[in-house]
Amino acid sequence: MTDVTEPAVRTDDVWKIFSQEAEEVQAVRDVTVTIDRGEFTALAGPSGSGKTTLLNLIGGLTRPTRGRIWVAGQEVSTMSNQELARLRLDQIGFVFQAYNLLPVLTAMENAEFPMLLQGVEPEARKARIGELFARTGMAGLEDRRPGKLSGGQQQRVAVVRAVASRPALVLADEPTANLDTASSGALLDVMVELNRELGVTFVFATHDARVMERSRRLVRMVDGAIASDETQS
Amino acid sequence: MTKHLRVIVGLALRNLQRHLRRTLLTASAMIAGSMLLIFSLSLGDGTHESWIDSGVRMGSGHVTVESPAFRTTQNIDARLSTAARQVAELALQNPLLSGDVSAVSSRMMVTGLASSAAGARPVKIMGVDPRSEAAFTTLNAQVVEGRYLEPDDRLAAFVGKQLVDSLDLRLGSRLVLNAQDVDNDIGGQLVRVVGIFQSGVPEIDQSLVHIPLSTAGEFLGSRDDVTTIGVLLNDSAAVPRVAQALRQALADPVAAGQVTVLNWREAMPELAAAVALDDFGNYLVFGILFIIIGFGIVNTVLMSVLHRHREFGVLQALGLTPGETGAVVLVEGLVMTAVSGLVGVALGLLCTWHFFGEGLDFTNLMGEEMTFSGVVIDPVIIPLFRVTRVVHVLLFILSIGAVSSVYPAIRAASIDVPTAMKFER
Repeated sequence: MTDVTEPAVRTDDVWKIFSQEAEEVQAVRDVTVTIDRGEFTALAGPSGSGKTTLLNLIGGLTRPTRGRIWVAGQEVSTMSNQELARLRLDQIGFVFQAYNLLPVLTAMENAEFPMLLQGVEPEARKARIGELFARTGMAGLEDRRPGKLSGGQQQRVAVVRAVASRPALVLADEPTANLDTASSGALLDVMVELNRELGVTFVFATHDARVMERSRRLVRMVDGAIASDETQS
Repeated sequence: MTKHLRVIVGLALRNLQRHLRRTLLTASAMIAGSMLLIFSLSLGDGTHESWIDSGVRMGSGHVTVESPAFRTTQNIDARLSTAARQVAELALQNPLLSGDVSAVSSRMMVTGLASSAAGARPVKIMGVDPRSEAAFTTLNAQVVEGRYLEPDDRLAAFVGKQLVDSLDLRLGSRLVLNAQDVDNDIGGQLVRVVGIFQSGVPEIDQSLVHIPLSTAGEFLGSRDDVTTIGVLLNDSAAVPRVAQALRQALADPVAAGQVTVLNWREAMPELAAAVALDDFGNYLVFGILFIIIGFGIVNTVLMSVLHRHREFGVLQALGLTPGETGAVVLVEGLVMTAVSGLVGVALGLLCTWHFFGEGLDFTNLMGEEMTFSGVVIDPVIIPLFRVTRVVHVLLFILSIGAVSSVYPAIRAASIDVPTAMKFER
């Protein structure tokens, strides 16, 4: 059951340990953090610092070795695969570095895909996607397949797909890493606007300085642990 | 899963369209296999039906009513009672069965001796009603001299060519038939040859003698009694139904062990074994063919899965369960095989009907006729269409598609999402 008074994300002493050739790698160590609804938070750190793994743990794409995770008040760490799928569908939107749109679907179909799974009526889907496409400068490109869109356009479609189903939070893993300066700036503007005007909670894993600058909260990770947690003006 | 079924099917269809050339190449193998399968099965069924038809016409029909002892003793004592004969013949006139029945022949069959001035030969004497038997047997169409028996004939005999030669007979010749009568005495009857046949089956041509049933009844003292009632059907597929109806009608004498109802498989086990063996050979060849096609499907679908790891990761990240992700792959395989199967079967039927509807002539390969186990094999094979065969073929192809898609589907369902998202294209 979703509780809107609960924070978007809460983790308690979360660890993720991978075994690699008889050696244990502590990808995430003792992470305890709370991210409230409406936050615009960046998880920053160098490659291998554990930020992507922490996003995957929060998104239920991988399970913690120990510790507990709650998303919108629901404990993720004990859920079955079916429950995790349902949680991802209803509460979490994902934006990936490589856009990851489904190549067989048009921009509109990609964007409305989570709502289709949720069983949202076609009229409501069209209206919501239409509004978001207008906000993100994608109007008129609804019928294009991903292969006919630029990287920046594909990532905007991915952002629309992530926010359209009104999730409790959007997890974005290096969303600007494959974009040029102009495209990433425009994409950031879109996400800031969606956060400000629609109250969408964003959590980024990034090492892009521009994303860090625009984030209101910056959580730095080093060697799998949180090194600092600052709120920026 | 049912909640997302439309999405799953929609994605599967889009994915099939996405790599249209690959889909068409795999589908073409399925279509060719299905065409070949339906053609071969139609031809096989036509062949078997021809064998069965020839066998049952030469023998005792698709369904035979006789005394259980008759098959082993061939003795006149093991004849059917008049009551049993009447019940059986009445049951066969029932409108529910009469549509399936092509001909009924009640026969008095005994072994005996045929003698002429030139010598004597063991023969099978068959007392028949000329009109009923003419509709039953093919011998009346294999007359080489004279004619078949007619209803008004009394002391007439219709004999095989080899018997005629060995007893130095000709049309109009007299011969004496001797056999054990109902009183266990040896009865004798003088008859004249009115017709000579050549069936192509040596054991028939050298030993079978048809005489009127009334003549047999007189000289054997059996009157209207018969040893066998042979039933010829329009389609061998009706055998179980007709046999069951006769068993029900004759329930009392069957229960008392006085009467048995045999289907052609029981009455002619050698022919049944030949049909089963031929079927087995066909199934084996097609089993191997479709295993090869199945591996082709596994290869195609699996390659497609391996190239789409990232997509499956995205689907699971967006809210599909692992099972639903696997279902996308399974549906792809099923849709491809179902459509290919339908197209293949339709083309197979069309080709068979268009090119071979009049029959396939193997005369150049096997000569005019060939025989085995008392069955004449017609060199012209007419394919036989059966709806059940079409259904079987479609189910078979669908199951090949399902089985071939299971492993790729499991692979798609069991991906590790974070790893899949890192997957390099």
